[in-house]
Amino acid sequence: METASTLDRATLDALQESIAGVLAEQCDSTELHAFIDGKNALDKTLWAQAGQLGWLGLGIPEQFGGLGMGAEGLAILHGELGRQSSPGPYIATFSAAQTIVETGGQEICQTWLPRLASGDISGAVPAILDERGLTRSGARVSGTLRCLGAADAAFVLAPTDDGWVIVDMAQAVVTVAPMWDRTRDVIDVHLKAATPVGILPDAAATRAALTRAMALAVAADSAGAARSITERTIAYMKTREQFGQPIAGFQALKHRAADLTTKLAVADEMVRHAVQRTVTNEPDAELWTLLAKSEVTEACVFVTTDCVQLHGGVGFTWDFDPHIFLKRARLNEVLIMANTALRDQAAAALAAITTSGRSALELEL
Amino acid sequence: MSILDAQHDLPAFRQEIRKWLAEVVPPDWKARMARASNEEHIAFQRWWMGERSKVGLAIPHWPKEYGGGGLTQRHLIAIADEIARADAPQNRLFTISLIHMPGTLLPHGNEVQKRRYLAGVAKGEVWCQGFSEPNSGSDLASLRTKAVRDGDHYVINGQKIWSSNSMYADHCLLLTRTDPNVQKHRGITYFIMDMRSPGVEVRPIRQANGRAEFGELFLTDVRIPAENMIGAENNGWRVAQATLASERGVISFEGGERQRYEIEAFYRKSLSAGAAWLRDAQLHREFVSFLAEMQAARRLLRRVLEESETPQASASVLPSIVKLSSTVLRQRICSFMVRIGGVDGQAFALLAEEPFGSPMFDFLSAFSGTIAGGTNEIQRNIVAERGLGMPRV
Repeated sequence: METASTLDRATLDALQESIAGVLAEQCDSTELHAFIDGKNALDKTLWAQAGQLGWLGLGIPEQFGGLGMGAEGLAILHGELGRQSSPGPYIATFSAAQTIVETGGQEICQTWLPRLASGDISGAVPAILDERGLTRSGARVSGTLRCLGAADAAFVLAPTDDGWVIVDMAQAVVTVAPMWDRTRDVIDVHLKAATPVGILPDAAATRAALTRAMALAVAADSAGAARSITERTIAYMKTREQFGQPIAGFQALKHRAADLTTKLAVADEMVRHAVQRTVTNEPDAELWTLLAKSEVTEACVFVTTDCVQLHGGVGFTWDFDPHIFLKRARLNEVLIMANTALRDQAAAALAAITTSGRSALELEL
Repeated sequence: MSILDAQHDLPAFRQEIRKWLAEVVPPDWKARMARASNEEHIAFQRWWMGERSKVGLAIPHWPKEYGGGGLTQRHLIAIADEIARADAPQNRLFTISLIHMPGTLLPHGNEVQKRRYLAGVAKGEVWCQGFSEPNSGSDLASLRTKAVRDGDHYVINGQKIWSSNSMYADHCLLLTRTDPNVQKHRGITYFIMDMRSPGVEVRPIRQANGRAEFGELFLTDVRIPAENMIGAENNGWRVAQATLASERGVISFEGGERQRYEIEAFYRKSLSAGAAWLRDAQLHREFVSFLAEMQAARRLLRRVLEESETPQASASVLPSIVKLSSTVLRQRICSFMVRIGGVDGQAFALLAEEPFGSPMFDFLSAFSGTIAGGTNEIQRNIVAERGLGMPRV
């Protein structure tokens, strides 16, 4: 049973197909390796193309220049970006945009969303959403935050000890923190008595909105990345011969491939479930979103690790793909919050829902 | 009265089922059956089938021409969901009768067979399956039970194993070897065997969980009329694929839904009792992870049902993927219950049904999921070879 606010399957399938087609061409293994070795600016060219194709406004409401496809559209885009391990500040920018949509208020929305939707600017958000934030003194904020976002991000969305703020990066000193995962930008944003250009006073709601947006993004990215490296690994196993036969014929390896495939099917459903509950705004949306992030990122770490191993020697080389996905998986795993903490929050949410006499396990037939 | 009268209005149909279940299911059935003997449990299941039959819910999914209700998949899902929600009895005695037999006869049986046997199920006829043999388990096609033509009969000699409820069965879906000189898949013939035929001996097999649901069949010069052949001689392997494929679908869906209600009841009880495990952060985390996997498994089961009505269904490996994920999850959940159950959880309790009542019994019983119906190892082969195109060597 499709609910009113759910986009129809055909629209989503068409979207997925078009995104997949573009990324397969623009962000194939060769381009990606060249980017990682600093030989092209794939992140920039992809971002420009994504802007032209309207991808950057996918989750932004139409009134602010976007396509209004919400969490469903974003999950597809993040899944495909994960599939190609595409470089660029997508998780940070989209999550910031979704948070602004939810708790930013009309003025902030009008200031930032159209520029985000067009791709003119990108945003940064804290890589970890713990209780730490900027210190606020009068109208000014100071401190250092480790963020997910490009070095040329236009703004940072950051917590203070009193509400959340948007600070123009013109007022910040930004240093790049090189990561093992070279497909992502992590930056340190240093602020000294900066004046925020926007304030989101409801701290709890803003934190919750950003957590939800990032969790869905990271989960979808992980599911896509895990599926892609599994497919690449199985393709490799069909061509690699030892003992006079393709290694894909050995039962020990077949069984591992089947287990990976099963994990992928479960991971996809976890993402879909969280997205669906979010789209229809169920009271259990938070629970399933937190669990989707913790479960799927760990599944992705398991899968990418096994894919390195299934490749044998070449899996341990810089020139093959598995390590790129493994590194992306490991960064995804630790973003937002430790998965143990996310599960603790999920357990609290489950208890609250159950105690209130409702069920958190409803599912459409 | 037939609940089927309300079939054109799905919510009303559900209401009717719910009302009927509230009236007919004895509130204490689980407690009674928990300590029941095999015979009492069998009698209870026959009673339950009789009650379902009275309101048209014995074989609601079969075509009307063969005595069924001609209901759609959506109705079946509604029935399964309501039965699971009400924690009403399962119908395991009739699993083969309700699922495998029609799944085989409808596509492959002749008109006489369909008229004769389909109608019998609503009257309570029990079927069993004679597929596996002591030396033909995962390698089913190597089976050696011999069938030799003798006039208008076939004479059967051999041994079958893991035949659920064969001790109580009226008929058996039997696979035999009719041609030992061809490639193993090509010399198999499929029969309907009357379990009361002379030469059929059934011995129950006691399982690790203490119960005896399986039987072993010893077949000595059993005579089966040639008209009881399903499909053509030596074409039995193809027919058997239909039997095996029929296992996917509503039956696993109901199991998944039952588990949801069980685990939810367990959690509510834990909350209100302030159970010790809730204060252990690591156990609590493990539990919410199970719930995430359970929701995913339930969603996958829904996809199998959707897919089962499409032409791609026969080539799909999704049922194997679902079996792998949901049976292993069941085992892990049961294992979790044993770990938090302490010594009390391992107190000997022989149960006829599987609630989260006796953790150790449930844990032991969960192996039927990972082993029966094609072991999980065989499912992995299917996923890898048919699904991923990895070569058979």
